[in-house]
Amino acid sequence: METLKNALDFSDFPRIDLVIASSLAILFLCFPLFPHSSFAMATMIQFLMFSLYGMGWNTIGGYGGQVDLGKAQYVGIGAYTTAVMLIRWDIPFWFSMPVGVCFSVLWSFVLGYPLFRLKGHYFAIATIATSLVLKDLFEVWDFVGAARGLEISPIKFPPPDFLRLIFKEDVYYYYVILGFFFLGILYMNWFRKSRLGFQLRAIKDNEEVARSLGINVHWAKIKTYAIATAFVSMVGSFHTCYIRNIEPEDTMSLDISILIALMAMLGGAGSLWGPIIGAGILIPLKSYLKEWLGARAGIIGIDLILYAMIIMAISAFEPRGIWGIVQKFRRRRQ
Amino acid sequence: MDIIVGSLVAGLLFGMVLALVALGLTIIFGVMDIVNFAHGEFLMVGMYTGLLTAQGLGIDPLLTLPVAGGVGFLLGVVCYFGFIKFLLRGPMVAQLLGTFGLMLFLRNLALLIFGSEDRALHHGVLVGESFDIGMGVIVSATKLAAAGLSVAAFVAVWLLMNRTRIGKALTATALSAQGARYMGIPTERMNALAWGIGGASVTIAGALIVNFWSVNPFIGLLFTMIAFAIVALGGFGSVPGAFLAGLVVGLITEIPGFWDFFVYTFDADWMSNVPMTSFKYMWVYLAYFIIMVVRPRGLFGWKH
Repeated sequence: METLKNALDFSDFPRIDLVIASSLAILFLCFPLFPHSSFAMATMIQFLMFSLYGMGWNTIGGYGGQVDLGKAQYVGIGAYTTAVMLIRWDIPFWFSMPVGVCFSVLWSFVLGYPLFRLKGHYFAIATIATSLVLKDLFEVWDFVGAARGLEISPIKFPPPDFLRLIFKEDVYYYYVILGFFFLGILYMNWFRKSRLGFQLRAIKDNEEVARSLGINVHWAKIKTYAIATAFVSMVGSFHTCYIRNIEPEDTMSLDISILIALMAMLGGAGSLWGPIIGAGILIPLKSYLKEWLGARAGIIGIDLILYAMIIMAISAFEPRGIWGIVQKFRRRRQ
Repeated sequence: MDIIVGSLVAGLLFGMVLALVALGLTIIFGVMDIVNFAHGEFLMVGMYTGLLTAQGLGIDPLLTLPVAGGVGFLLGVVCYFGFIKFLLRGPMVAQLLGTFGLMLFLRNLALLIFGSEDRALHHGVLVGESFDIGMGVIVSATKLAAAGLSVAAFVAVWLLMNRTRIGKALTATALSAQGARYMGIPTERMNALAWGIGGASVTIAGALIVNFWSVNPFIGLLFTMIAFAIVALGGFGSVPGAFLAGLVVGLITEIPGFWDFFVYTFDADWMSNVPMTSFKYMWVYLAYFIIMVVRPRGLFGWKH
């Protein structure tokens, strides 16, 4: 009960933020009612998925300050668990998703124990290495379809099917992921005020001091890593049912890991709204740049060049992200 | 037996080139504590430079090294003054993502200019030549020459770092930037120089690799990870460490060759069923991870 009250309590934000947030929430709920193209719908679903990924990353990377660039491996574990269970044993999404989360969390404990003995750059690069090892394994493992990947055929599993999460129209996917999105916000709101959340911020500020205060630094990091993993793996499972065709290249590549970290950083790492703002800007930008410059104009690579320049500009001139700019303006006005 | 000797020789020769690849990364890391994700892309630039110079001027690909070195030096210095300088003020996450942005930028620029197909060199004095070094082992001349020139370039950089005033100033900046500034060393220029030397050594390595390896815009990540593994094994910031670790990692990339030897010797069915060649680079990543966990300082690390 106390937990629920904490999760629903947003009172430490200024009123204007809450007004904007709740009107946006209503807008999201009503979005399918407005006339929209299927491209806009796909972009919205992508945005919701990536803000969930970003929220997951934000726990360990934003609040904890541990730059994790290997999140894609958990996207892969979640996605593949769901796909394999559905295709081989016909186990529906709502059962395979928790199983995938369990696998991911177990794997995150196995990796987290040695990984968190490292710090800074060493930690960041080691997470990349683990992710690439797993990707290479999946690319030759026949049971999961090797490099060809897996496909959920619409003939064998005819839509619509709520239990297996296979629909014909994107609207249903939109509402499912929107549900996850709201739950994710509530969880993050609870998390930032929880004991673990405060411990993590102490660790980020100064690890030695945190240890001297009696915080079990190593264990706190591992726990948070597992929470971040659960978020990412859950959305990975959803990705399977939504895309219906998964390959190691588009679920486990380094680009996904970096994109996840970038979401949170662009919006403002270590704040509740950061990952959402980041995804809200980056995902539409990325897909529209690709649509306009890549597909239509036919110049390969130009959309990613612009995208890369945006990344470079942000990291060079405003590393605290958009939320950091907002905070700076507020402080100046007071 | 000839399989294992052949793998050993191939691994060591490739390792010598890889050591030069990692040298640039380790200098940059040692001097200013920043991890360069775009390192493999610098190598790709070197590979394209070597390819285009050789094709455009019609000279032997092994003689394109000065051009490649010049391009790399310029690229490093321009990157430093245009971009990296601003990154250094930010937190670590910004540095990591910033150099990742640089990597995406260079990769897609190459994609825009050269297209996505593989390109390879087909002419040159040594192309197609090979030596029989005994025990039935045949080494292609381009690989041998590339390894030899890498070692020469490596020694040159080592001498520059250890026997000249500039090298001493670089080392001083690496040890303590503030202290070096008090001693009158222009640290800003030293940082740029580190990027220049780092860029030059990696593009030279690229111009050597293109003699026996085709190039495409996506080749960078593989070499970035290999370079990270070498630098981690040798110790971040250590030049002799990079050489030794380069040889070790070169041998690791030959694991499929050794595996073939065991399959041949033991004649085991399950062994021949494992698709080892597709794991080729996984061992490098795995080795990197294990090294990081067991001994984060590396073999010769002096900075942690």
